[in-house]
Amino acid sequence: MATLALKGVRKEYGKSVVALKGLDLDIGDGEFFVLLGPSGAGKTTTLKCVAGLEQPTLGHVEIGGLDVSNIEPNARKVAMAFENYALYPQETVYDNIAFPLRSRRYYREPGEAQSIIERVTTTLGINHLLQRLPRELSGGQKQRVALARVLVRPADVLLLDEPLSHLDAKLRAAMRAELKSLGELQSTTSLYVTHDYLEALALGDRIAVLNEGELVQVGTREEIWHRPVNTFVAKAFGQPQINLVEGEVIPGHDGPRFHGANGAVDLPMHGFDVTPGRKVITGMRPRDLVMDAKPGMAHIKGSVWVTEPLGRQQEVTLEAGGQHIAVITPLSSLAIGDTVTISVPVSRILLFDAESGQRIPAKDDAAGAARPIAEMEVSRG
Amino acid sequence: MATDKPSQQVHQQAIPEAQGMAVAASGPAVDPDARPRSIGGIGLDLLTIAYFAFALFPIIWILMLSFKSQDQLFTTYFRFDPTLDSYKAVLGLSSTTESVPFMKYFLNSLIASFGAVAVSLLVGVPAAYAFARYQFKGANDMLFTLLSFRFAPELMVIIPVYVIYQKIGLFDRHLGLIWVYQLITLPLIVWILRSYFQDLTPELEQSAMLDGYNRWQALVKVVVPLVKPGIAAAALLAFIFAWNSFIFPFILTGSNAQTVTVGALAFMGGAKPRYNVTAAAALISLIPPLVLALSIQRYLVRGLTFGAVKG
Repeated sequence: MATLALKGVRKEYGKSVVALKGLDLDIGDGEFFVLLGPSGAGKTTTLKCVAGLEQPTLGHVEIGGLDVSNIEPNARKVAMAFENYALYPQETVYDNIAFPLRSRRYYREPGEAQSIIERVTTTLGINHLLQRLPRELSGGQKQRVALARVLVRPADVLLLDEPLSHLDAKLRAAMRAELKSLGELQSTTSLYVTHDYLEALALGDRIAVLNEGELVQVGTREEIWHRPVNTFVAKAFGQPQINLVEGEVIPGHDGPRFHGANGAVDLPMHGFDVTPGRKVITGMRPRDLVMDAKPGMAHIKGSVWVTEPLGRQQEVTLEAGGQHIAVITPLSSLAIGDTVTISVPVSRILLFDAESGQRIPAKDDAAGAARPIAEMEVSRG
Repeated sequence: MATDKPSQQVHQQAIPEAQGMAVAASGPAVDPDARPRSIGGIGLDLLTIAYFAFALFPIIWILMLSFKSQDQLFTTYFRFDPTLDSYKAVLGLSSTTESVPFMKYFLNSLIASFGAVAVSLLVGVPAAYAFARYQFKGANDMLFTLLSFRFAPELMVIIPVYVIYQKIGLFDRHLGLIWVYQLITLPLIVWILRSYFQDLTPELEQSAMLDGYNRWQALVKVVVPLVKPGIAAAALLAFIFAWNSFIFPFILTGSNAQTVTVGALAFMGGAKPRYNVTAAAALISLIPPLVLALSIQRYLVRGLTFGAVKG
């Protein structure tokens, strides 16, 4: 049990590669904190700096309020599951999991160790594999073994490096739910690295979005989802990706309007403090958009470009003024080239500055951030 | 889309048919295919046999020499009266003329070679690990220096080493040989094992370090067991090179620490060169490397094919 803090952590490899450009993070005791970012964002480097496997070039890491710069990795009480599992190939699954319990630091009597391993492996559903060698396991099984090795020992901080990345989609969803129910993960400060936004939304008490060694945004899942600081964060969450339409604010008879995609996308901007003439980007989540013209909403007219069935729903991509707009709708018979109208709930529109990509706050910003996330409902169902 | 579908179906129907055709056609097709291959196989076998005959002939010749009597040495080829006299002479069992303490040399060779390999492993395994894992100043220069021991001719350094050994009292001592053999064994072990360590992901040790082990324990418990085949192969190679070393013991030892490579020559001196005894000595001195190679054979194939070739 401990808090974890990164204070201005900068990591350079050699002279030209900067993996982390001064990272500041404060993670509470028992918090499940997710780091999300594309590959090369510096997620794994962050974990290794916390573990002590890499020394920050500048800055330091604090565990429980204590600067751990001069503490060896084996004395930091940090457990880590590696992305490539790092299972000891010459040892059986049992010996792999028992490995930390045989060290001087985390030593347990063999009998006690066995009961701990028994409990953890039963939870993870791998207790029938204990006598196998790592090379005889599937990727998903290896990942569970790596996870078990982390969970059998006491730790102040758990570091999990893409623990679900090599699982197939079905198993991943199941493991995601399982992970959440694991007591060890609920009570221990955890730093979880992933590039899967659904994992981040499902697991993270808070989420940090990382890009090119820099922190882009830290927040709860709702903040990240509804109030992304810039287009990068907006694009990082959601599948299909958020629709971003570039355009300009123009004066209208009932206040400023958004004019984009050669006039095909025309939206009221009364939710925002923007002056005509400003170049902006609007963001619309595909799951927020609705088929057909609904009263009280803004409308976009376009022709069907492509449809893709997704189980009970389908992803419809429209072509409007040379711009592609994706919509998630219930299954219906739409033919390519059909002219359709979609409705945009005005309160769900996100607005970004066209130059900087930074979000332009809405007038009701505080209220909007607390809404549930449509995406999550779908992923659970 | 609409036009694609039918054509796909056609393909799917066509494929089993095509396979059926292939199966049917493969019956008569096998023989003309197989015949040239088997001729090639026989050719390869013949080549292999020819090579082995060529490679093994000197050994067979030495074997025959060692069973010949002094009188028949130069008068016979394959037909002679075999005798064990040469072996008796080598082992010091016969009380003829000048005796050479060959078994003592044999023991010296064992001490020097095993000692040299042991010291090299002790120093070389951690060194190779460090070279593989850490980027430190001068690492490349040090590696190159180690390698240069192998490509610089031994004769180049032997005179200064001789003078130094005379001065510090290492001349004709086992320790002196073990020390100078490091020039042979250490570079081999460091270079071969370095590539083994490089092949292992560093995350294995990192994981061990987070599991509560310090760096040294992580090396011993996790990494070393994984490079055992490499250690076996490198150690064997180093042993063979040390065992066969001639120049160093020739110059740096007298009667006390002399090894078999030099000792075997003693039978060549005197009025009549005793080739048959020298042959027996050579064959006996073949035994330790052979026994070693066979006893670690199961590591050897893996060890020599995996890792060591990459640099």
